[in-house]
Amino acid sequence: MAKKNRVAIVGVGYSDVSRGTGYTLDKLTAQASVAAMNDAGIKPTDIDGVVVHSFPHQFVSSTHTAAMLGIPDLAFYSGNVDGAAYSVAAMHAIAAIASGSAETVLTIRTVHKNGAAGGGGPVGQYIPGNQQLSQPYGSFAGSHWAGMYMQRHMAMYGSTEEDFGAFAIAQRKFAVANPTESFFHEELTMEDYLNSRYIAKPLHLFDCDYPVDSSSALIFTTEERARDMKQKPVFFDSWANGTTKEADFSLVGDMTHSSPWMASKRMWSRTSLKPSDVDTAGLYDGFSFIAMQWFEALGFCGEGESGAFVRSGATSATGSLPTNTDGGACNVGRRHGANFFIEVTRQLRGTAGDRALPKKPEVGVVSNAVGGFAACALLTAE
Amino acid sequence: MTTEVLPPLPLVNELTAPFWEGASKGQLVIQHCNACGHFQHAPEPICSACLSFDLGSAAVSGKGTVYTFCISTQAFHPWFEDKLPFVLAVVELDDQPGLKMITNVVGVNPNDVKVGDRVEVTFQPLAEGFVLPVFRPVAQ
Ligand SMILES: [Zn+2]
Repeated sequence: MAKKNRVAIVGVGYSDVSRGTGYTLDKLTAQASVAAMNDAGIKPTDIDGVVVHSFPHQFVSSTHTAAMLGIPDLAFYSGNVDGAAYSVAAMHAIAAIASGSAETVLTIRTVHKNGAAGGGGPVGQYIPGNQQLSQPYGSFAGSHWAGMYMQRHMAMYGSTEEDFGAFAIAQRKFAVANPTESFFHEELTMEDYLNSRYIAKPLHLFDCDYPVDSSSALIFTTEERARDMKQKPVFFDSWANGTTKEADFSLVGDMTHSSPWMASKRMWSRTSLKPSDVDTAGLYDGFSFIAMQWFEALGFCGEGESGAFVRSGATSATGSLPTNTDGGACNVGRRHGANFFIEVTRQLRGTAGDRALPKKPEVGVVSNAVGGFAACALLTAE
Repeated sequence: MTTEVLPPLPLVNELTAPFWEGASKGQLVIQHCNACGHFQHAPEPICSACLSFDLGSAAVSGKGTVYTFCISTQAFHPWFEDKLPFVLAVVELDDQPGLKMITNVVGVNPNDVKVGDRVEVTFQPLAEGFVLPVFRPVAQ
């Protein structure tokens, strides 16, 4: 019978991050990879797997990345352009290590500022494929489906723009306490939030993650190897993907119960841990409503009650579930999910510095994406 | 010299041709499985309900309900700059539970649109012979 290895996170790192680094995708990728190797205290020859997630039009090759870093031979590699952003790289790496296909895997998510999905094709060009059934209506950007998901939640549960604003305000507080990584240094008021312009009403500007050039890297390995490395390892307890029957985010069957619900149910079915055991969360905030859907899907609050949950202070540093303690992608910039794995790791292993939570967390949850595809994982300090 | 701004126009293919041809004749036409009767939008090369490749198309009632919407206040394409704000919506058609399409709701103040509103199809010229099926509130 195949051995199932326990999988640990042993290194994390970021590239330089800014609104315009002027760096190529490869250079950003190399910077983040070196930072993660230094954090783990390992060399390229210690790595036998590379998994990269990137956009089709910003493709970063896993085998080229390995060559660039002087990794001599890969037992496992995968370059993905489909699905739930960084978590796809993480899920592949976990599966590779758990199955024994590889021992030490470098996982990467690299994105250039103008690379968000949507934004429209070249003007004057005829629209191929099924996008010709949405773009003529003016549906181009993630903010369009995001506004529609918010509207549906408001109609079903009576939630308000102030509920989403409460989330933006709560995570900005963490951002202010993370001045080296956050692009925003002043607290947000409800007035600021409500006065920020609409992109796709009810979606406000401050509901959107902040576009930057960035690369993020994490290194995963077996428990056995992790014990000999520089950092205190953080372990994956349970992990899962989930998808909806419909691939188009705008056409999913139930917008208030999209893929986070499938992934969450699957993740909880594979662990003895319960929502009440979780001490901190890193929940994807490409748009603020996404983190709100995860609170409900993961069972931290009742269905439709994420607004009240956030307003209660539960997600603050002293609440029951400090959430997005780095400030989230709305503040530290778009990392497409990787920042949540990195920040929860730093909190669990005790390397969050000034941001260390008042009560040292032992169990954390991370998540990525919404709509057609999503993933989540439980991380433990031991 | 100014460049004429064109709308995003479809590169019509085998799967989407019935939709666009129907619209040009004032009909909302949706892909329909000849084997099991399943409507499917957007169109695909196979029926996801029965895996038949024998797919045709059929005109639907054109009546539906607003499943959700947003009011687009930022143009992501120059064509829409003088059309803001406009209502981008998902309408669930009466013809089959869960059969939904991305569309616009027109003929109403965007701030008066609500989830659950009853709507019916209407047709707007797009450009170069293309007609766009959109929805308007059902007359009370
Ligand atoms: Zn069929």
